[in-house]
Amino acid sequence: MKRHLIGVIAAGLTVTLGMTGCSKGSSSGGGGGDSKTIKFVAAIYDDNTKGYWDGLIKDFEAANKGYKVNLEMVDWTQMDAKVKTYVQTKQTPDILNYNAFSDFARDGLTYPASEVVSPQVLSDFTPTFVDQTKYNGTQYALPFIASARLLFFNKDLFKKAGITNPPSTWAEVKSDAQKLKAKGAVGYGLPLGPEESQAEFYSWAMNDGGGWVDSSGKWAINQPANVDTLNFLRDLTKSGLTQPNPETTDRKTVFNQFAQGKVGMGINGPFTRAGFIDPVNKNLNYGIAPLPSKDGSVHNTLGVVDVLNAFKNGGKNKDAVTKFLNYFYQQQNYAKFLKLENFLPTTKSAGSALSSDPYYKQFVDALPQAKFAPTSNPAWSAVAGAVKQSMGTAVASGDPKKVLDGIQKTAEKNG
Amino acid sequence: MQDTDVRTRGARATARAPRARTGRRLGQALIPYVWIGPATLLIAVVVLWPVVEMIRTSLQKISSSGVTLGSNGTTNYSDLFDEGDLVHVVVRTLLWVAGVVIVTMVISLALAQLLNARFPGRRVVRWAVIVPWAASVLMTALVWKWMLDNYFGVVNEVLLDLHVLHKPVNWLAHPDQAMLWMMWVAVFVSLPFASFVILAGLQTIPGEVYEAARVDGSGTFRTYFRITLPMLRPALLIAAIINVINVFNSFPIIWAMTQGGPGHATDTTTTFMYKIAFFDQNVGESAAMAVVNFALVLVMVLLYLRASRWREEVR
Repeated sequence: MKRHLIGVIAAGLTVTLGMTGCSKGSSSGGGGGDSKTIKFVAAIYDDNTKGYWDGLIKDFEAANKGYKVNLEMVDWTQMDAKVKTYVQTKQTPDILNYNAFSDFARDGLTYPASEVVSPQVLSDFTPTFVDQTKYNGTQYALPFIASARLLFFNKDLFKKAGITNPPSTWAEVKSDAQKLKAKGAVGYGLPLGPEESQAEFYSWAMNDGGGWVDSSGKWAINQPANVDTLNFLRDLTKSGLTQPNPETTDRKTVFNQFAQGKVGMGINGPFTRAGFIDPVNKNLNYGIAPLPSKDGSVHNTLGVVDVLNAFKNGGKNKDAVTKFLNYFYQQQNYAKFLKLENFLPTTKSAGSALSSDPYYKQFVDALPQAKFAPTSNPAWSAVAGAVKQSMGTAVASGDPKKVLDGIQKTAEKNG
Repeated sequence: MQDTDVRTRGARATARAPRARTGRRLGQALIPYVWIGPATLLIAVVVLWPVVEMIRTSLQKISSSGVTLGSNGTTNYSDLFDEGDLVHVVVRTLLWVAGVVIVTMVISLALAQLLNARFPGRRVVRWAVIVPWAASVLMTALVWKWMLDNYFGVVNEVLLDLHVLHKPVNWLAHPDQAMLWMMWVAVFVSLPFASFVILAGLQTIPGEVYEAARVDGSGTFRTYFRITLPMLRPALLIAAIINVINVFNSFPIIWAMTQGGPGHATDTTTTFMYKIAFFDQNVGESAAMAVVNFALVLVMVLLYLRASRWREEVR
């Protein structure tokens, strides 16, 4: 009898606790009354990220008495699920570090950039990135970090295979890959797995006159140039010049093999040295070249930009959010982050911070010719999702044209 | 005046007596509900409310950022049934459930028999069987993913050393092989629960029944199929149903090992649902998939109960 009683009490307590948990959750949305405390959700780029933000917030709170920033660090693999939950349960943070912004802007959740940073900060952003953060002509997000993609090649393997220069045309890519294969290496490391196939594909398609949209901004994913690009990548795969099964290989696997000296060529960004190569093999003899293009005339590069979103949450947080963002974009604070994380700057004043290193200079120099994914279109995340799921099958069991038709259908459905 | 007062008081008093009696009877009738109340409430909050919420979400239009834009009628369902991959995914899910559950039950029957036998070190073996259960499923799946890796996997290493293979096989990149390996992992993590339920069942079979069978000259096989197996039916039933539900909803194994890829070639309805929400950015359609998934599990369990004539067990 006594045991039953305890059981009932325990059950009762669980229910009550559960319910108070719920009600507390739903009322804390909208920022609350305390406008000097804000919540900041930051993405984990590497092991240094949290330390940087902890330090910056401590300094900010010391310089601005009474203001408080609650930091939450989220891993990129969980970010999408978390962000969806924040929005659906109306518990959006005040500042969010993310790779998308336009659907927040469309749904009226975020401040225009001009309302949350000073005019000095606003005018300091590089124009290329300002264009990338506009929705319907107004800048909403704040460009946070940038990255560009170039061709990495293994100089030792190239020498062994008797190749003097990195490839400039696609024909050279194929013939070089054949020479590398003859020496027992993987010619080209092609990651078309779900991690980032949209970036790999676009890096090739943009250098064949292809892309995501036509000149009027309408989705043109199944355009002939894109089919042509996929046919080329499929040919590389079917000729055995890539690693086995590109459709399931992610970038980290390809560049682990590259760092071990088993892969001749691969496309990657500025974080490659610190993130992939140095931890495995500091002595790897490699070079960096522009992305090869079909005819070798123009070499475009893929640009990627992550952003900070400032959520309205009822509007009381504006003062604190503005103070914190202006503090972060001060030249020395911002440059410190870039140096620590090996990313390219999105502001003019921090522009010179990385150019002194010849390795980074190549990426900084490539940025002006960069082409970006259409992130200002709110449908882009769904399109990128469709690409991640199915693009890889085009070089395996699928048919390039049909795969692209499927993605085009998804794109048009999402507007 | 006084007279009427007394009379009314008397009338009130006589009226109060039966009311008190009904009150007591009502109170007595309510007592069981007081006792089961908290549990019912718990079930309502933890089980029923999410189901209602799921169905409600499946009828709403939800923008890609996560904002609810209002009712969407049955559009989410028609979008879902328009997905070219849906039929393949559902068929694969049914094969996945049937394969995993059947193999698990067969192996568990043997394992339970072993654990029930008396031999030195039985305690150690019983603990060893529990280990895959105690370990996190995600961890087990990740360990197997690395064991099957194309470049560093121990499976390839061993098979190459034994000259079974001449070059490494990228096991998880080929849908059919990947599916078989994932089914094996699902069996591996399902075994402990199933074999312990069956072991418990074995221990409820009275020794006298076996004695009688022996006296009647029944052989080992006959004893097993005529006595052990029929008497295990309640345990088998429970183990199988819980296993069906678990395997049907299994997400971590497939997500950790292949992410349902390449394409949708190794997706089950559960991973497909996740992809609709987080790759296609369509929470409403994903909720519709969840409702269909829920209905499928219910139908499967009902069919199974019907086929196994569960009422006889209850009686």
